[in-house]
Amino acid sequence: MQHAESVSPPPDFSATKKKVVTIRQRLRPVYPFLVIMLIWQIAAMQAKGNLGQLFPTLDAIAYRAWELITGPLMTALKENPSLGFFDYLYYLYQSPLLWHTFHTAWRLPFSFVLGAIFGVIIGVIMGRFSFWESFFVPLIAVLLPIPALAWVPIAVIWFGLGSQTVIIVTTFATFLPIVMAVWTGVKTVNPVWIRAAQSMNANKMTIFRTVVVPGSLPMILSGFRIGLARAWRAGVGAEAFAGIKWGLSAGIFDAQEFLDIAFMMVALAVLGIFGYLLEKIFFQPIESRTVIKWGMMEAMGGQERKV
Amino acid sequence: MVAKIQIRNLRKVYDTPERRVHALENVNLDIQDGEFLCLVGLSGCGKTTLLNMLAGFVEITAGDILMDGKTLTEDYDKGVVFQEYALFPWRTARRNVEYGLEIRNVAPEERKRIALEHLRLVRLEEFADFYPHNLSGGMRQRVAVARALAFDPQVLLMDEPFGALDAQTREELQELTVDVWQKTKKTVVYVTHNLSEAVYLGNRIVVFIPRPGRIREVITVNIPRPRDPLSSAFIEIQREIDRLIRT
Repeated sequence: MQHAESVSPPPDFSATKKKVVTIRQRLRPVYPFLVIMLIWQIAAMQAKGNLGQLFPTLDAIAYRAWELITGPLMTALKENPSLGFFDYLYYLYQSPLLWHTFHTAWRLPFSFVLGAIFGVIIGVIMGRFSFWESFFVPLIAVLLPIPALAWVPIAVIWFGLGSQTVIIVTTFATFLPIVMAVWTGVKTVNPVWIRAAQSMNANKMTIFRTVVVPGSLPMILSGFRIGLARAWRAGVGAEAFAGIKWGLSAGIFDAQEFLDIAFMMVALAVLGIFGYLLEKIFFQPIESRTVIKWGMMEAMGGQERKV
Repeated sequence: MVAKIQIRNLRKVYDTPERRVHALENVNLDIQDGEFLCLVGLSGCGKTTLLNMLAGFVEITAGDILMDGKTLTEDYDKGVVFQEYALFPWRTARRNVEYGLEIRNVAPEERKRIALEHLRLVRLEEFADFYPHNLSGGMRQRVAVARALAFDPQVLLMDEPFGALDAQTREELQELTVDVWQKTKKTVVYVTHNLSEAVYLGNRIVVFIPRPGRIREVITVNIPRPRDPLSSAFIEIQREIDRLIRT
């Protein structure tokens, strides 16, 4: 009989994954942006006079961004040219763009975490107890298709104008897809894993902790991802209508009245970068340390390797 | 000597809305301590049902299963190897083998030592830190065998564990299974529909026939090990079982 399998040394899987990626390949994702920027710039340069303000060139937008970030600092420098390091930080901190960003940046993750906590708790209860499953499923099935933004007018009347309304709407928007995902995840854990744990005499609580939770992680993470996307949309929309001063999209809607296109573009760019960073610093590290490492999920953009 | 497991007048009936299914009828069987018992038969003959009852997954309709003279409790120590890949993908091979020991609150250092010892038994020691998805199908089932044995169960129950593997890997694992059984001296109950596999592995072979599922005959295999599947004695027993199954 052969023992080839056991005699040969462990194959080095890390080596097969590390393919040489040239700089050209690395730059590929940048190309579409360069193309769009080029077309934009050419088109904007055709706009003359008042039209130029409505369709600003890239350099005008870049200048506006600079102005938005350093505005208070420049004003302060004119009055008192000898500022200390901490004064610089203080005046940068006063910049309207950063203020808008900060407000969006704490409201959104705060609401997301809140919605995720509720979603996981209710989802697990639904997955474990059939009574609560049949109680919640119809409710969520009806609520899920309603865009969270449609709740904003009612939410404003009930909870008043202000951050609390934004947070409530965003939390609600996060909650629904996460509760669905957690419920499905808990229900669809491979039954053979549970049987294996049972056969080793694990009790129900242990099975839940050591099998159901890691076993449903791929579903839960994808629920978090959808939840975050929903939260992002709902939060940005609610900001605009909840009568608040600070927040990127609140700023965008204010800027519309002054036809400040450049500000709107800058704020949109920040929204885009923000969402991208959340994906990069939150989801990708969690996934590559868990479900991707365990072979339960393909890495995002996995098809790139076939190129 | 009293048998390790005594099965008395065992019966299993599944009631479905359309009809009753007699999965097992009047099954009597003694399983000796340390023997390698194979259950064979066509699909639907009740061999897997019997194994599931021994594992405590399926309730008994009537009759008794006695372990060391006492009625079987659900939480007795049994190691089960499933046909499907049942390793936990989020645990390395070693941590999979440790699972049953964790349930029994064995200290981490001791757990690790026992797990490595059992991985060595299935000749996979150097793959201890691999996640299952990086192991071949055959290697996964070897880890599953190690996991089922690590907490020193009273019996090892195997449900067509190598059914999904290619012929060559299968042969290799059969040889390994005999080796593991000889080293650990466990009582093994092994379900298969592959007759050659049954003759290669078993001390005794229980032949089931369907409708209702019942025992046709119990055959003792006295061929010395390691057995040669091409020897005339081997083929003779295989032919005999084949005849019994079809009557």
